[in-house]
Amino acid sequence: MELKQQLVIPRAVEAVWQALNDPEMLQHSLPGCQHFEQTGDNAYDMTVSAKIGPVKATFNGAIALQNLNPPFSYEISGEGKGGVAGFAKGGAKVSLKAVTESGEPATQLSYSVEAAVGGKIAQVGGRLIQGAARKMAQDFFTQFVRRLCDDETIELVIETIETP
Amino acid sequence: METIELKINGRKRTLHCLPNATLVEVLRDQLHLTGTHIGCDTTQCGACTIHVDGDAVKACTVLAVRSDGSEITTIEGLAENEASHPMQKAFKACHGLQCGFCTPGMIMSAVDLVNKGCAVDPAAIREGLSGNICRCTGYQNIVAAVLQGASEMQEQSS
Amino acid sequence: MSGSLIGKSVLRKEDHRFVSGKGRYTDDIQLVGLTYAAFVRSPYARADIKSFDVSDALAAPGVIAVLTGEEVAKDGLGGLPCGWMIHSKDGSEMRQPHHPVLAADRVNYLGEPVALVIADTQLEAKNAAELVMVDFEPLTAVVNPATASQAETLYEAVPNNLCYEWELGDEAATEAGLAAAAHVTTLKLTNNRLIPNAIEPRAALAEYNSGTDEIILHTTSQNPHLVRLIMTAFVQIAPEHKLRVIAPDVGGGFGSKIFIYSEETALAWAAKKLGLTIKWTADRSESFLTDAHGRDHVSEAQLALSADGEFLALKVKTVANMGAYLSTFASAVPTYLYGTLLAGQYRTPAIYVEVDSVFTNTAPVDAYRGAGRPEATYLVERIVEKAAAEMGLDPAELRRRNFIGRDQFPYQTPVALEYDTGDYEASLHKALKMADYNTFSARQAEAEARGKLRGIGLSCYIEACGLAPSQVAGALGAGVGLWESGEVRVNPTGSVTVLTGSHSHGQGHETTFAQLVADRLGLPIEDVEVVHGDTGKLDFGLGTYGSRSLAVGGSALSVAADKVVEKGRKIAAHLLRTDVDNIDFDAPVFKMIDSNESKTFQEIAFAAYVNHDYPSEELEPGLAEKAFYDPLNFTYPAGTHICEVEIDPDTGVVEIIQFVAVDDFGTIINPMIVEGQVHGGLAQGIGQALLEQAVYDDTGQLITGSYMDYCMPRADNFPDFKVGMTCTPCTHNPVGAKGCGEAGAIGSPPAVMNAITQALGGIEIDMPATSEKVWRAVQTMPALKTA
Ligand code: FES
Ligand code: FES
Repeated sequence: MELKQQLVIPRAVEAVWQALNDPEMLQHSLPGCQHFEQTGDNAYDMTVSAKIGPVKATFNGAIALQNLNPPFSYEISGEGKGGVAGFAKGGAKVSLKAVTESGEPATQLSYSVEAAVGGKIAQVGGRLIQGAARKMAQDFFTQFVRRLCDDETIELVIETIETP
Repeated sequence: METIELKINGRKRTLHCLPNATLVEVLRDQLHLTGTHIGCDTTQCGACTIHVDGDAVKACTVLAVRSDGSEITTIEGLAENEASHPMQKAFKACHGLQCGFCTPGMIMSAVDLVNKGCAVDPAAIREGLSGNICRCTGYQNIVAAVLQGASEMQEQSS
Repeated sequence: MSGSLIGKSVLRKEDHRFVSGKGRYTDDIQLVGLTYAAFVRSPYARADIKSFDVSDALAAPGVIAVLTGEEVAKDGLGGLPCGWMIHSKDGSEMRQPHHPVLAADRVNYLGEPVALVIADTQLEAKNAAELVMVDFEPLTAVVNPATASQAETLYEAVPNNLCYEWELGDEAATEAGLAAAAHVTTLKLTNNRLIPNAIEPRAALAEYNSGTDEIILHTTSQNPHLVRLIMTAFVQIAPEHKLRVIAPDVGGGFGSKIFIYSEETALAWAAKKLGLTIKWTADRSESFLTDAHGRDHVSEAQLALSADGEFLALKVKTVANMGAYLSTFASAVPTYLYGTLLAGQYRTPAIYVEVDSVFTNTAPVDAYRGAGRPEATYLVERIVEKAAAEMGLDPAELRRRNFIGRDQFPYQTPVALEYDTGDYEASLHKALKMADYNTFSARQAEAEARGKLRGIGLSCYIEACGLAPSQVAGALGAGVGLWESGEVRVNPTGSVTVLTGSHSHGQGHETTFAQLVADRLGLPIEDVEVVHGDTGKLDFGLGTYGSRSLAVGGSALSVAADKVVEKGRKIAAHLLRTDVDNIDFDAPVFKMIDSNESKTFQEIAFAAYVNHDYPSEELEPGLAEKAFYDPLNFTYPAGTHICEVEIDPDTGVVEIIQFVAVDDFGTIINPMIVEGQVHGGLAQGIGQALLEQAVYDDTGQLITGSYMDYCMPRADNFPDFKVGMTCTPCTHNPVGAKGCGEAGAIGSPPAVMNAITQALGGIEIDMPATSEKVWRAVQTMPALKTA
């Protein structure tokens, strides 16, 4: 599964970058995140519950931030195990670009995600992964931007760059 | 444990079940009404079809607690006081079954189709039964059985 | 009275219990003290197991025990064996990786069981299974059979992932035929991987009685004796006489319930080990992952023809996917059940076939309705039809020119089989008439005027049923003989209990076999009861597969019934104080030839058990006879299927306009049941052609693992089939029957695909012909004429 999307956040690049590296921020933006713990430099353990089609599972996993190029880009890679529900693994490249919006400095954030699932989630929910990933991204960034801007009313517009 | 009351095949029953127990589990495991079968885990095969308050329902998809107070008919109660319901007779007469595993669900769906006036011709029956999978018969004799059962049911009710 | 029941559509004796919900399938059985099992399975297609941690699972509510692959290894259980040895071209034995009951250190396919959890309720077992922590280290999976022999080696003992490289036929003669040909047609095709999907999922209930040290295993099996033999002799969970296997009502099999699987074996082992009564029923997701899949061949073929369309030679190269392990009969399917059928109905003088069987990280592949014969028929009938198109000949005519003539039987083919009888011209003729073949072009033109594409396709199939004889099968590598047992037990009151080693899971043996015996003895069918599926009640039997029940099992009963009559004559002679030669059996009466005195069947039965002046010195009391029937040859059902399709070029949807099947099954006992078997086979065959396919992604994840993704044929996918029969009785069994269970699934796929290919103007697509594939093909066609 591949997903490439972009969005504009009405904050300067540095602020966005900082937030993207803030464990607290990530934890609270991640839908279904039950546990989030820093285990090293740019490495985190987490527990996330997710629903893909008819399968609901709790994943225990680790993610790592790599190839950091502050404040413009990094890569996230991770793998989670969901017991009998199977597993999910994948990575995302995130890059930031300074833009202006209504005269204010803003950030264009683009990301491309690659993910693979296995076991029961793939068997029963395989078809639905694309939709689930899209929804998860939408939820994540909505929360992320709302927290960053401290504005619960923001409705985020995410643009899909390319669908495979 | 939740307590529910059901009227099953004409008899009132009070049952205790877990809140997440499905109706088919309660029928099979607690009431030993094993004529209602389980053929899948995604609501696609129809082997578990029963009647709840007069409608065909896939019992694997309904929580038992949701059917509290309902009137339920399973294949075991379909014939009421007769030896066989006309649809059961028609399935036998037309060789509408082989291994018999899909059969109770098929018959319950077929009776519902007739009751709803949807068993008018072979094409309608084929469409009406497309929620029930049979791996054995190739469906042809099932369709014949439903046509025959339908006409006998109509005769009986007129 | 004899003969009055044969050929009659007697309604089925078993149906009343099924239509009233009183069938008794394995999962329906409730016993006191029942516990439940759930399996822990691999989420990876290939991975190393680093460790098991069962502590959380053991602490979970209701959990009684957790057993893993480590315990299986510790107890020294044997692996699950494959029952048919195949030798490669170079004479070496096939390679067989160890197939553990539960994996301990390496998993080789998605869903492979590694542990089982036993708890008080099913829910508790399932919940606790989620708590078993297995540390898997994923490895790269080999998924594609076509390239598996060049991929990473999966098992040390299996170089290049090749199970065997088998050949059959005369290579030199075949090459010579190709060299001499005026025309050579070549064809590449895939026989799509299928999942059997009997609607009753596999299930097992194992009880252990520590007082008698006996295990009773109730299970969804097509052949309980084989289950017992393998579990005791090979896996060694118990001595053979301490395991009783009962197959109660079984909800369809289609091959998938022949095999001996991990789960059932593990359950019987666990029941004894823990002293428990344990039940497990697969949910559909587990069935998708672990029931042995079917087909999965990739082939290339060349057919050599003379200028006037005479077949000179056929050369075939096939790669067959075995999956991760060799299932019980897997090795025989792409060899002796496939290569031997490549002559089809034709006189092709030279045939050479090579089959490479490969291992991949997918579920084991084994016999599925037809087993090898559909793959052979699909190849032969597609290439014949293509040759006809290329040479501008009518496909029916080309076939006719090459048929083995009615007067050429027995006919020795170049691929080992000797056909005993048949009349291929007759079934072709009848099918063409039923399908209004001659007026097809008018229908095609009419469809074209509506902007639709019509095609008609033929398939003249042959199959070999009732695997036999044991000696030959043994010489070819079969691990067991292929005879069948039967017993006709006459009760003192004259009613009869028939015991058969073959098994019914939808085929209606309780009726057909009762008909056969009732007819022979002149009894009402209600007086004959058929017992099957219980090693505790029956002699060793080989069960039901390969459409063998009537031809082999029925023959055993026929012989046993004859023995009953023989003994009855002796008893009658004694009672009537005459010579045996003076007694004639005019069913159901034993008559003196030279007088009008007689004894009824009931009188003889009663005398056999309870008469005071029974001549025990000369004749043993009792009236029960057994027979073990070993067939002399295969039987060869054959026929012609014709399919007419219409394609909507805008959507790619294929509609079956008509489907005609004319089959020659030899003598038919119950036409209604036979027609039902044909219908069911056709639905599976047409399902294969249009809808069904098991798909693994390139990491070995099964992405068609539910009824939402694996397209099952449903009622609205078909029209009514037109079924016809011709009859040339089998020459070498006492019933004259040939077997009818698989023909529909064998003959139909090429008929459908030939019709689609014709409608698409010769564009070839592989099965399943989904609307997407067909639509894409339509896009490459020259523009349609529109009305
Ligand atoms: S079991 Fe209910 S639809 Fe399959
Ligand atoms: S009769 Fe076997 S599934 Fe329908």
